[in-house]
Amino acid sequence: MALPIPRTGLATMLKDGARHFHGLEEAVYRNINACKELSVVTRSAYGPNGMNKMVINHLEKLFVTKDTGTVIKELEVEHPAAKMMVMATQMMEQEVGDGTNFVMVLSGALISNAEELLKMGLSPSEVAEGYELACEKALTILPDLVCHTLSDLRSKEEVVRALRTSLASKQYGHEDFLASLLADACISILPEDPRSFNVDNVRVAKILGSGVLATTVMNGMVFKRVVEGTIDRATDAKIAVYSCPFDSTATETKGTVLLKTASELKTFSKGEEDLIERQVNALSELGVKVVVSGGKVGEMALHFLNQYKIMVVRLLSKFDLRRLCRAVGATALPKMVPPSQEEMGHCDVVEVQEIGGTNVILFTQKAGDSRIATIVVRGSTDNIMDDIERTVDDGINTFKCLTKDGRFVPGAGATEIELARQLASYGETCPGMEQYAIKKFAESLEALPRALAENSGVKAMEVVSKLYTSHQAGDQNSGFDIEGEGAAVKDVAAAGIWDLYLAKMWGLKLATNAAATVLRVDQIIMAKAAGGPKPQDNPVVRDDE
Amino acid sequence: RPLFCASVLDHVTLHVAQLAEIKQQTTSSELSAFCCLFVRCCKTKRPLVMQAPIILLKEGTDTSQGKPQIISNINACEVVVDAVSSTLGPRGLDKLIVDGHGEWRSIYHGAVRQQGKTTISNDGATIMKLLDIVHPAAKTLVDISLSQDAEVGDGTTSVVLLAGEILKCCKTFVEDNVHPQILVRGLRKVALLSIARIKEIAVHVKREDVKEMDDLLKKCAATALSSKVIARQKDFFSQMVVDAVRHLDELLPLNMIGIKKVKGGSLEESRLIDGVGFKKTFSYAGFEMQRKKYTQPKIALLNIELELKAEKENAELRIDNVEEYQKVVDAEWAILYDKLEKIVDSGAKVVLSKLPIGDVATQYFADRDVFCAGRVPDDDLRRTIQACGGAIQTSVSSLSDTVLGTCQLFQEEQIGGDRFNIFTGCPEAKTCTIILRGGAEQFIEETERSLHDAIMIVRRTIKNDAIVAGGGAIEMELSKYLRDYSKTVAGKEQLIIAAVAEAMEVIPRQLCDNAGFDSMNILNRLRQKHAEGGKWFGVDIMNEDVADNFDACVWEPAMVKINAITGATEAAALILSVDETIKNPKSGANDPPPALPGRGRGRPM
Repeated sequence: MALPIPRTGLATMLKDGARHFHGLEEAVYRNINACKELSVVTRSAYGPNGMNKMVINHLEKLFVTKDTGTVIKELEVEHPAAKMMVMATQMMEQEVGDGTNFVMVLSGALISNAEELLKMGLSPSEVAEGYELACEKALTILPDLVCHTLSDLRSKEEVVRALRTSLASKQYGHEDFLASLLADACISILPEDPRSFNVDNVRVAKILGSGVLATTVMNGMVFKRVVEGTIDRATDAKIAVYSCPFDSTATETKGTVLLKTASELKTFSKGEEDLIERQVNALSELGVKVVVSGGKVGEMALHFLNQYKIMVVRLLSKFDLRRLCRAVGATALPKMVPPSQEEMGHCDVVEVQEIGGTNVILFTQKAGDSRIATIVVRGSTDNIMDDIERTVDDGINTFKCLTKDGRFVPGAGATEIELARQLASYGETCPGMEQYAIKKFAESLEALPRALAENSGVKAMEVVSKLYTSHQAGDQNSGFDIEGEGAAVKDVAAAGIWDLYLAKMWGLKLATNAAATVLRVDQIIMAKAAGGPKPQDNPVVRDDE
Repeated sequence: RPLFCASVLDHVTLHVAQLAEIKQQTTSSELSAFCCLFVRCCKTKRPLVMQAPIILLKEGTDTSQGKPQIISNINACEVVVDAVSSTLGPRGLDKLIVDGHGEWRSIYHGAVRQQGKTTISNDGATIMKLLDIVHPAAKTLVDISLSQDAEVGDGTTSVVLLAGEILKCCKTFVEDNVHPQILVRGLRKVALLSIARIKEIAVHVKREDVKEMDDLLKKCAATALSSKVIARQKDFFSQMVVDAVRHLDELLPLNMIGIKKVKGGSLEESRLIDGVGFKKTFSYAGFEMQRKKYTQPKIALLNIELELKAEKENAELRIDNVEEYQKVVDAEWAILYDKLEKIVDSGAKVVLSKLPIGDVATQYFADRDVFCAGRVPDDDLRRTIQACGGAIQTSVSSLSDTVLGTCQLFQEEQIGGDRFNIFTGCPEAKTCTIILRGGAEQFIEETERSLHDAIMIVRRTIKNDAIVAGGGAIEMELSKYLRDYSKTVAGKEQLIIAAVAEAMEVIPRQLCDNAGFDSMNILNRLRQKHAEGGKWFGVDIMNEDVADNFDACVWEPAMVKINAITGATEAAALILSVDETIKNPKSGANDPPPALPGRGRGRPM
């Protein structure tokens, strides 16, 4: 073991255990390599033919998915530079809700291409600047590439076509089926003002059994519970919702009932019984057929509710309670008082049903009335259902983006190649060092059709060159044909493979930002991690190939 | 090949990244190794001083990617399939499983030893559940088996077997570098085709004809039972199961069939009670004096504790004179007697309560010719309501005839070593109870599971009246259909569909293997029969032959097969589409193993 060589410079000023790296070799290349490695992980999940990942998180929960957002979240990336990329994908998830892998692959390509530029002798800041310039230019080109604009948010046919591409990249083979389900669900709850569409209003209930194709949509809500009382069906029902336990009210302050005489003792419990009966009776007189409670339902209360033939449902989650209120148009009462007419909700059918061995309570509204739609996902394993749920979430988010901006650009690599082509020629008009960076940016864009092709088992070089040829010939909508044999290209705009304009725009912005941030770092100073293991002077050297 | 190498060398002059790409494209292993070598060479030329690993993820994280990962997942699944395959069919063997979670159990007085729970079963879902599989891919098989259990209740072994065989067929394709997504697409297509074919050839029975329907149900139940431990008594039990399910209302709630197990006696002594029966509850002194048989009694169902007790926990008495004290004591008794009086006045002859009935109450009832039982389990009480009518009362103030149940006959009966309270001739009769008799504990447990499967099958058949022939007949037919179909498609899909067609044959093959027949011989004859259009020909286990299983009354609901094929193909597709496993170290309960010093913490070295 070599003796530790005392460090000079900054290291002497830092606390023992802190580490410090600087310069191209130590910091920038390392960061680049880390980012490259991370993007390799998700790259093979890109596109319809991408592969799933099996991720087991620290709680031993298993995920089988190709949703990059989920994979990255469960991976727990530790490298500081790679974390930049992770943050970029998280931004994407929040902003658009889809297209996370686009960010990942593009930023990975940008960063790894930057390495070559740096070796050529460009300074990192020049590269970063060039990338930003290129991104700006790309964003000005993008609106010209729009190939379709959604005209009517309420037309099922239009929405199905719009959602297909996003779903195909997650559940290839089921996209038409899921798109039509999602379109039904989203359109049925679309409010007057499409901008106030709430993603939370499309719920997902997962019930094990049968197959994915047995998935259905219903208007209203589904809870995997059974009723408390004996009544398990009510039609055309008025609903009273309580956020408190449905029981005789106890005071918050600790108190004792003081009894003085024997007769008081005798009438005590009788009085309590009468009180509850009066309350239940009041409900029954108002025409309430269903009581929903956020807390426990007292035995005595349940007794009278059964007697008055009122159905009782208990919901454990406060959020579920709030959603149900929205679905049936009720106001949750915090106290055991009979509701006023406005506070009562209404539901056409409330019933218990068995779906595949699971008992569920269905709150069904007539079509058009409901403010909440539920997608009942079926599948033969939990993992499949979880994955479908994630896909559904992405689809709903796509729909939400549509409510903001109905523009589409061609998918399947067509947009990227067109951007790359135009950027490359734009780069040649730039006089300074940024020319190289802009050209590299264009090259990085190729990474997306390349990933599509590789994941489909087709030679990437061939596809990219074919795409360039047809784009050069003026066909800006030509993209990689995933169903064709070998390296085939086709007009994807006509085939209905459209990507959201918003997703592409944010993707380009965020990926460029992440790449630029990583490149601009030239020093890493790390404080000694609190409580962690002591850093050793001779790290275990391992070959990295 | 030298040509290619030369071209690779050309590429090297371009740049390393492109080379890495060629590495991914090349199909043959030697070539990729060659490229690998070059990549390595180029890398060493890089001006990097030191090649240290880059720590990207938390330490202890385990990642693996690519084709080997798929193959290893498939291998893991095959191992699991092997474990259950021998349980399939009438001649399948049972498994004895001792689970590892040994619990401390007291045997005799104070003697304690560790013992795992022993289970003997040939129910696929039960075995898979108890196997405690940790391999992430193989877990998928457990899931589909449980899903089959939830959806249809039977066919849990077949679904696992089918999934395993499909994967085995796909393994060769994966090794031959067929892209997994193409396989997945092929599988999905196969599933759709098979389901359409099942629906096409399934036989529908007229629901209106009760007798014919009953006959059908009985045969389906018998087929399900024939592979279970009680195969010898299958006629006896299938009749029982059909009768039991016929008692239920439209929703066919499973929990309305009570299954009570009494050790001792023989299987044939098991019986179906057209009503409710439950084990006599703990009773207080005075119970012996009560009558044990009533005809047409009124039944009160209570949720009240009939004992002297504090009315309310947080009440307090303050008494300032002696007379009042005596009054309070009297009042407590009066409250209890008041309750008892109201119950007796209501005319109830049988009093059941969820909560304990004390000795004062027991004797009070005994004096007034009323039977009582306290601490009755909740589900038994619910079944009593379903059978006898009435409602559970939490207060005695409103006991009227509408909330009292009734039945033809109530009596206490001795069954084996236990006494049972039995209600028969119930007016509502939406429930029934099966009392199982038999030797060992494990044996009764397994019988219960078998009956559960049969009940589920009958329920499914009532809801969905399409049936197909069992004994491998439908699988052979699908196999033939898919093989024929595959010849009409061009491209890689042809091979995949043909492969799955062969995978379908695993069910009849395993049936033969488990019975000790020459499976090659029988399969050949089956193929011939099916080619000639005998679509219901399957394995005849009894005669070591092939037979028309539709005529032989080996029937299964089409639902079972549809669900099994859906589940198996979905699971296979899932496993095939995974090319990478990333495992984070477990956190929480177990402390993480001491970290290797000098690494981690995001250090970019």
